Amino acid sequence: MFVQIKNLQYQYKNAAEPVLKDFSLTIEQGEIITILGESGSGKSTILRLLSGLETPKSGSITINNDVIFGGNHVMPPEKRGVGMVFQDYALFPHMTVEKNIKYGLKKMSRREKQQRMEEMLELINMTSYKNRYPYELSGGQQQRVALARALAPAPSLLIFDEPFSNLDANLQIKIRDELRGILKKTGITSIFVTHDQADAKAIADRVVFIEKGVIKQVGKPEEVLGCASLVMWANS
Amino acid sequence: MRLVVRTIKSKLNIWAILSLIFIAIILIPNGLIAVNVFTESNENWQHIKEYLLKEYITNTVILLSFTALFSMMIGVSLAWFVTMFEFPFKRFFKWALILPLAIPPYIGAYAYHGLINYTGIIQSTLRNNFDVTVNQDYFSIMNNQGAIFIFSIFLFPYVYTITKAFLQNQSSSIIENARLLGSSSFETFFRVILPISRAAIVGSVTLVVLEVLNDYGVANYFGIQTFSTAIFRTWYGMKDLDSALKLAGALMFLVIFILLLEKFSRGRRRYSFSTTKVKPIQPKKLRGVKAWLLAGYCFLIFGVAFLIPFTQLLYWAFLTFESVYSSEFIQLIYQSVFIASIASILIVIIALIIGNYTRLHKSLLTSFISRVTTLGYSIPGAAIAISIITIFVALDGYLADLYQTLQMEPVIILRTSLVMLVSAYIIRFLAIGYNAIDAGYEKMGNTYTEASRTLGFSTVKTFFKVDLPMMKPAIFGGFILVFIDVLKELPLTLFLQPFNFATLATQAYKYANDERVHEAALASILIIIVSGIFIFVSHKLLEKEPA
Ligand SMILES: Nc1ncnc2c1ncn2[C@@H]1O[C@H](COP(=O)(O)OP(=O)(O)O)[C@@H](O)[C@H]1O
Ligand SMILES: [Mg+2]
Repeated sequence: MFVQIKNLQYQYKNAAEPVLKDFSLTIEQGEIITILGESGSGKSTILRLLSGLETPKSGSITINNDVIFGGNHVMPPEKRGVGMVFQDYALFPHMTVEKNIKYGLKKMSRREKQQRMEEMLELINMTSYKNRYPYELSGGQQQRVALARALAPAPSLLIFDEPFSNLDANLQIKIRDELRGILKKTGITSIFVTHDQADAKAIADRVVFIEKGVIKQVGKPEEVLGCASLVMWANS
Repeated sequence: MRLVVRTIKSKLNIWAILSLIFIAIILIPNGLIAVNVFTESNENWQHIKEYLLKEYITNTVILLSFTALFSMMIGVSLAWFVTMFEFPFKRFFKWALILPLAIPPYIGAYAYHGLINYTGIIQSTLRNNFDVTVNQDYFSIMNNQGAIFIFSIFLFPYVYTITKAFLQNQSSSIIENARLLGSSSFETFFRVILPISRAAIVGSVTLVVLEVLNDYGVANYFGIQTFSTAIFRTWYGMKDLDSALKLAGALMFLVIFILLLEKFSRGRRRYSFSTTKVKPIQPKKLRGVKAWLLAGYCFLIFGVAFLIPFTQLLYWAFLTFESVYSSEFIQLIYQSVFIASIASILIVIIALIIGNYTRLHKSLLTSFISRVTTLGYSIPGAAIAISIITIFVALDGYLADLYQTLQMEPVIILRTSLVMLVSAYIIRFLAIGYNAIDAGYEKMGNTYTEASRTLGFSTVKTFFKVDLPMMKPAIFGGFILVFIDVLKELPLTLFLQPFNFATLATQAYKYANDERVHEAALASILIIIVSGIFIFVSHKLLEKEPA
């Protein structure tokens, strides 16, 4: 298995209860996973543990046979090769689109960096925007640049925290399909987090439905969504 | 066990180590004072305790209480008028009433003394034009009442600005409700405004009180025995470092008492400014006599607290410009700017490091660290000075031993170098820089840093590539704030500056103390203008900032 998450346990310092008690999940290479759950169910927390922004109490995580967390080994985020697209994009406001995309390209010559950047711009269809600053872009464009920036260093795993929540509904549908196309084209393994069932259905190969940090169901979108909608409807 | 090793490993990063070192530097002088409270005392201390301490306490408490009362009355009334009513020239007064803050009380003190003493303009006009000679007892401000007057008029802007900012952030509904219930403006003030702004008022009055405790210049110039003057006299006059430290300990008790008093009297509410402003208070338009009365009141305060002393100093500065302005004076400017820049840069750097650590690792330890960082500002300069000098004397002792064992010439004697003064500035003003930097971090949030880390950069590299460029405004703001404060600072500089080093502030003070008030004016005017410009600019920036 490409990504193996085993028995993760996590509790925020000032919280009364653990968010995750025993979370395990495996992901195949090239798979697109959606973690679906209500707000507060612990989705963002899972992503933060994967990227290394928080450290689990116990458990283990391996990606492509590299142990990035386990025992007393904690790999810092910068070494993990896990790319992340943030909910509010977090594009660096003091850098142009070009600089933002080049930011994560480290061990490359100048020419290679330029080439990779152009490649990414083409992928997201924004070649003419490279000299703009983030505030000169629309929400959808910012989102695509954030994707390009995260993709550029070719991470082994790409994770998205509610990537569509800041977009209006029309754009959301368009970008969703586009995004799936891009991801499948690059063949990258990715995890999406969302509370929106339509999102989950449109983008995922496999949906993981969680409730209060516990996996309730895993499977193809059609299988899971029926059950999930029942639960979420019952709770709302 | 594994968990422990891992926890320690993950906590021990460069940010933590540096932060802990800086915190230690702040805590050591305080610890020294605390320890010294319990050491064996000498005869001198017995004498001080028996005969003098009571006077120090009485004077200090009198100055504190009345200044608190008057600055509160002036500050709150002005804040109320400016937020609730429209009257002539209000837009001007709104920021002009902050300007007295640009005049350090010790400068205001000798400006006023020079203004009304026997040779001053008031008495000489009376004498020469009206042939009136007044009873000198009524025309002296070199007493407790005079000091209270000086402190109140130059420190009330703390109360004014903080209370005003608080009121402007309140929703109009609070006041409208009271108006609908038929309360007059006057009733509204006592039944609504005063209670809701209690925390803001208490907090700002505490700042005023701490400033008064920090004062050395006014009290010494007026010949009033307070803790600060006593500490310096015991140390300089009697060469009794030990008793001076004990006095500092007593002073610290007073500070702690005041801080506790603040905590209990501000009530449960903190004066946080809610960001979601529903509908700001609409000022009521006044007409006729009432409107002009308010304008008159504002003008009176502005005149007494700024215009009069400023004009007087400006006049003296022109009078003495030829004799004072020399290459030495330029040297003075250079030294002031130099020391203020060094201190501000160091403070900003330390604040950036501690701020980065506390925001990236939220824990009990880091909230303790932020607390300690802001502690220094409550400690009066006299206490910092005395503990710093004790530490540096000891350090020089160790260094001397070291030089001897290494058989080399002494490289540096810390006690006579600028290191000592800069350390004292850092302890006292770190809080100012830290607050600005911390607010900057808060505004920036953590996501950019996290994004950079997931893109392959360590916290250190991220700091230089992302955090620093984004923090530019906060860094600039923090630098300026500290710079201005160091430029005005008196007691620390006066007592810790090396031989043949002086700043505008200390030189002005020395002139004034030598009864050469006119010569003091040029340096004072420079300080006031630089601070004034800053106050004006920051006020304009705050105005522009979208609500
Ligand atoms: N920094 C934090 N400190 C304390 N509790 C937190 C923190 N962040 C999230 N939580 C809590 O952890 C739970 C899971 O949060 P999160 O992972 O953000 O959920 P989701 O992304 O599914 O909405 C929630 O109950 C939330 O309140
Ligand atoms: Mg979330």
